[in-house]
Amino acid sequence: MSDTPSHGPVKYIMPKWIRGPQDFVGGLAMVAIAVFALWASSDLQGMRGFSFGAGTAPRMFAYLLLGLGAAIAIVGLVKDGEHITTYAWRGPLFVSLAILSFAATIRPMGLIFAAFTSFLIAALGTPETRWKQTIIVAVCLTTFCSLLFPYALGLPLQMLPKFLIR
Amino acid sequence: MGDVLSNLSLGFGVVFQFVQWTPAFLGGMSIPIPVNILLCLIGALVGTLVGVLPGIGTIATVAMLLPITFGLPPVGALIMLAGIYYGAQYGGSTTSILVNIPGEAGSVVTALDGFQMAKQGRAGPALAIAAIGSFFAGCVATVLIAVLGAPLTKLALAFGPAEYFSLMVLGLIFAVVLAKGSVLKAIAMIVFGLLLSMVGSDIETGASRMAFNIPELADGLGFATLAMGLFGFAEIIRNLDAGGETDRQLVQQKVTGLMPTKKDLRDSAPAILRGTVLGSILGILPGGGAVIASFAAYTMEKKLSKHPQKFGRGVIEGVAAPESANNAAAQTSFIPLLTLGIPPNAVMALMVGAMTIHGIVPGPQVMQKQPELVWGMIASMWVGNLMLLIINLPLVGIWVRLLRVPYRLMFPSIVVFCSIGIYSVNNAPTDVMLAGAFGLLGYWLIKHDFEPAPLLLGMVLGPLMEENLRRALLISRGDWTVFATRPLSAVLMLISAALLVLTILPSLRKKRDEVFVESEN
Repeated sequence: MSDTPSHGPVKYIMPKWIRGPQDFVGGLAMVAIAVFALWASSDLQGMRGFSFGAGTAPRMFAYLLLGLGAAIAIVGLVKDGEHITTYAWRGPLFVSLAILSFAATIRPMGLIFAAFTSFLIAALGTPETRWKQTIIVAVCLTTFCSLLFPYALGLPLQMLPKFLIR
Repeated sequence: MGDVLSNLSLGFGVVFQFVQWTPAFLGGMSIPIPVNILLCLIGALVGTLVGVLPGIGTIATVAMLLPITFGLPPVGALIMLAGIYYGAQYGGSTTSILVNIPGEAGSVVTALDGFQMAKQGRAGPALAIAAIGSFFAGCVATVLIAVLGAPLTKLALAFGPAEYFSLMVLGLIFAVVLAKGSVLKAIAMIVFGLLLSMVGSDIETGASRMAFNIPELADGLGFATLAMGLFGFAEIIRNLDAGGETDRQLVQQKVTGLMPTKKDLRDSAPAILRGTVLGSILGILPGGGAVIASFAAYTMEKKLSKHPQKFGRGVIEGVAAPESANNAAAQTSFIPLLTLGIPPNAVMALMVGAMTIHGIVPGPQVMQKQPELVWGMIASMWVGNLMLLIINLPLVGIWVRLLRVPYRLMFPSIVVFCSIGIYSVNNAPTDVMLAGAFGLLGYWLIKHDFEPAPLLLGMVLGPLMEENLRRALLISRGDWTVFATRPLSAVLMLISAALLVLTILPSLRKKRDEVFVESEN
């Protein structure tokens, strides 16, 4: 892939004997997910004798994932591989915040408010944002979406804040 | 043969359907409107529009635009989605040629020679050949679907649950073999997808599984939610990370001289032909699809060429072959979906998601009970390809201007657009938050070099696999040997096992990696 980030690898976090930290951690995470799924489906029945119950398939897949995750982790342990690259914080943080803000405001405040604020919060995700431009685009996009979704596509979306409608 | 023709004419009848529109302001006068053609056109246009945006791949485009088709009748929605799909693919190749940022793995190869051509001021011919090649491939693939559709459906009706299960296993194994990168990781992603699909209530007993008494999870994880999170949000976060502005080297010259020369046409004709054949075959394979097709076509063209050293420096065959191959594959991959009901790749998985939202369960039954839906869609493919050819060449100028939209303005728009889309599926704010969480998960997966596409495939195939496995075991009274004793199922299982062994063998693995690596150097 062409997405080799410009940042260097994280140093000194992993002990040297782990030769492919990226795979090692990735595999361990898969194992963790599998264990979690096994725990979450432990209350379901199935697989006593030959009965195929609600829990059989989830457990089957979870065990498979457990094995695969372990294999990936072992490969990461013994074979030279990629280092873990640094995670950026700015993009993920503000994009997540924008999504959260949208989810929180769409019901009480309506589409126009939610879309506009969410756009501005997301725009914080990059240091390159120029505010004048951003606000103009935000206004345009909000207008476009408030015409597209409820009118052109006929989706029942509430446009204005609740307190204004009542 | 007569069957094929009558089926196709049924399909074109659906596509060219006119609906009388009687707007109030015309005072009772009614205008006939070719609704499905319009939807096809809009789909292709919007698909290109979004697909052209750098860093947004085909899957992300289709996922993002899924909600805009919800309000339509099923036939119209599917026709539009198919249009979006081709549009997105064509848009992706435009980006590859002009900006050297392939939206996804499939168009990486196009970027190799396409961008070099653009640098030499030959962006016009490159784009034109891409469009012509795609159109030719599209025509061939449409005919192929029409010819293969009916017999395969008959075959599918002979399938019992055991065969279906084995076929799905085979499809998933194929998906792994034909995917890029580590086999182990690809399988892990599929299984992770299968596991995620188990969340929600059990189909047979109604027992709540891994839902932790959260009401929003009781119905399972929404497919659109997952797709938009993993492909929409995760892509944005990753692009931000990679510094969206810095590595964009847009060709600044004006795109002039769209028409390829006679020599270009002569050079690319055999490449287009070969690409189409290879792409059609790879597309039909379960697990196949556009990605492997374009890589394989490029590699083959280079091997066959009299001047392989020129590849990568802007030869027209290097654009023609992968572009026709990926369009052919994109279309023939509809065959397993429409006839067997099994999505062979992530985009087709999205199609299944869309169909399910409209209450259609893809498979042989659809072909028989709702022929107008299936054949309408097939006919619309050809119309869609024609439209792409007609609208895209004159509109290249607009697409180029669109490419100049800075990422800092684009990504908040995508965030908002996706959020509204996800919210509108169920009018549920929780879905939006879940998609956000999947976005972060997707970012983490990309960071650890896990491909999210197999996950999506597993997510869609999960319930189908479980159902068929269960039914097969119910019929055999819990006897697991049923998969080996039924001949068809045994053959399918044997092929899967052989494939898996072959992939792990070092010598073959080298060959497989070669196909992908060669084009990267």
